[in-house]
Amino acid sequence: MVETDTRQRILEATYACVARWGLSKTTVEDAARQAGLSRATVYRYFPGGRDELVDAVVSWQYLRFFGRLYEEVHGAGSLEEVLERGLIFARRQVLEHEVLQKVLQTEPDVLLPKLTVESNRTVGLISGFLVPYLHEHGLPDGLEVHEAADFLARMILSYISAPGRWDLTDPAEVRTLVRVELLPGIMGDTQVVDR
Amino acid sequence: MGTARLELVRDETPDSAASSEPEAAATPQRVRLADAALRCVARQGIAKTTLDDVARAAGCSRATVYRVFPGGKDGLMCAVVDTEVARFFSALALRMGAASDLEDVLVVGMTEAALRITEHPGLSFLLDHEPEVILPHLAFGHMDSVLDVSSTFTAPFLGRWLDHDEAKRVAEWAARIVLSHLLCPADGVDLTDEGRVRRLVRTFMLPDHTVRPTDSTEPGGVERIDRPPRSTQPPKGEAS
Repeated sequence: MVETDTRQRILEATYACVARWGLSKTTVEDAARQAGLSRATVYRYFPGGRDELVDAVVSWQYLRFFGRLYEEVHGAGSLEEVLERGLIFARRQVLEHEVLQKVLQTEPDVLLPKLTVESNRTVGLISGFLVPYLHEHGLPDGLEVHEAADFLARMILSYISAPGRWDLTDPAEVRTLVRVELLPGIMGDTQVVDR
Repeated sequence: MGTARLELVRDETPDSAASSEPEAAATPQRVRLADAALRCVARQGIAKTTLDDVARAAGCSRATVYRVFPGGKDGLMCAVVDTEVARFFSALALRMGAASDLEDVLVVGMTEAALRITEHPGLSFLLDHEPEVILPHLAFGHMDSVLDVSSTFTAPFLGRWLDHDEAKRVAEWAARIVLSHLLCPADGVDLTDEGRVRRLVRTFMLPDHTVRPTDSTEPGGVERIDRPPRSTQPPKGEAS
């Protein structure tokens, strides 16, 4: 079997265990049994054992989440469309993610430190994705593209985690949110008032 | 790890001895013990802090700590949070109340919040050494509560320039920015630097006007409200 296939199989097996028993209770033994592999094989791929395995599974799911988000928005024709579609899709994914919701209820103390580490990396990922859209739009004088991208990326992560007063399941509200809280400084007046 | 309880925003459902204790007044003795506990937490974290440590730091007996906090450590930690949150918001009130225009009120509020947060001895120790105690309260549903509490408290200070709903919205926006930079510091963006915060506010929130949703007849629409950047006049709400 190809190396990456085995690694993938271990991650999927571990994820199934986490879905059933949570992050703290999942052991290397559980993951090995679920994957139909020996403990030695799991250790070969994850020498750090349980902790490394659990971190890897969180990273893997996290990247999958943003992979799906990328699939959803990468064809969008404009910055507004990227932001609107992205926010709606990502929020729905969070709400419908049963394992995430369960772990948030039962083991937030285990999950959140890991998610915070991941999201620090994600700010760079999201802002990198937005840069071409910002270039295409052009920016007001004096505003650097990376400054605008960083602002948008961290705001997006913030709304996905906690929408606050906004209902991100309502497209009309998301449309307003994007125009009122994300783009006023970035798009200039004409685009903001343009309907 | 599991025993360290810390409610930045108290849950509605009383599910522990700590939160079912009657709402206690901030008597001098409670505050003195809470301050002693905070000194211990700043030095060694929550998990390692014992009631003996707190008693020693406060110069009183363990029995006294128990008499004031029958719920023990949980109750004591709740008192620490209550005291610190109260101090945080009064510091904000002091700065924001003295601001002379909308840009200033946002800038001084955000800068003061960032300063208080980053320089808070207990909080920085916990973020570095016991993040599992703090971070769950700053994400997902709990972050919604934090945003709600912060914007409810700070919105009145924006009320001199914005109507009620718009004030709450802008207050939440500001709280979001501060939280985001606390959890995920950006290169070259130091929110304790007033000039840097002013740039953020000017650039992204108040470029040269403020924008707000129109009434319900036009969902999703926005209108421009002309407002001289440093005016002290409340907006009249005419669309241009």
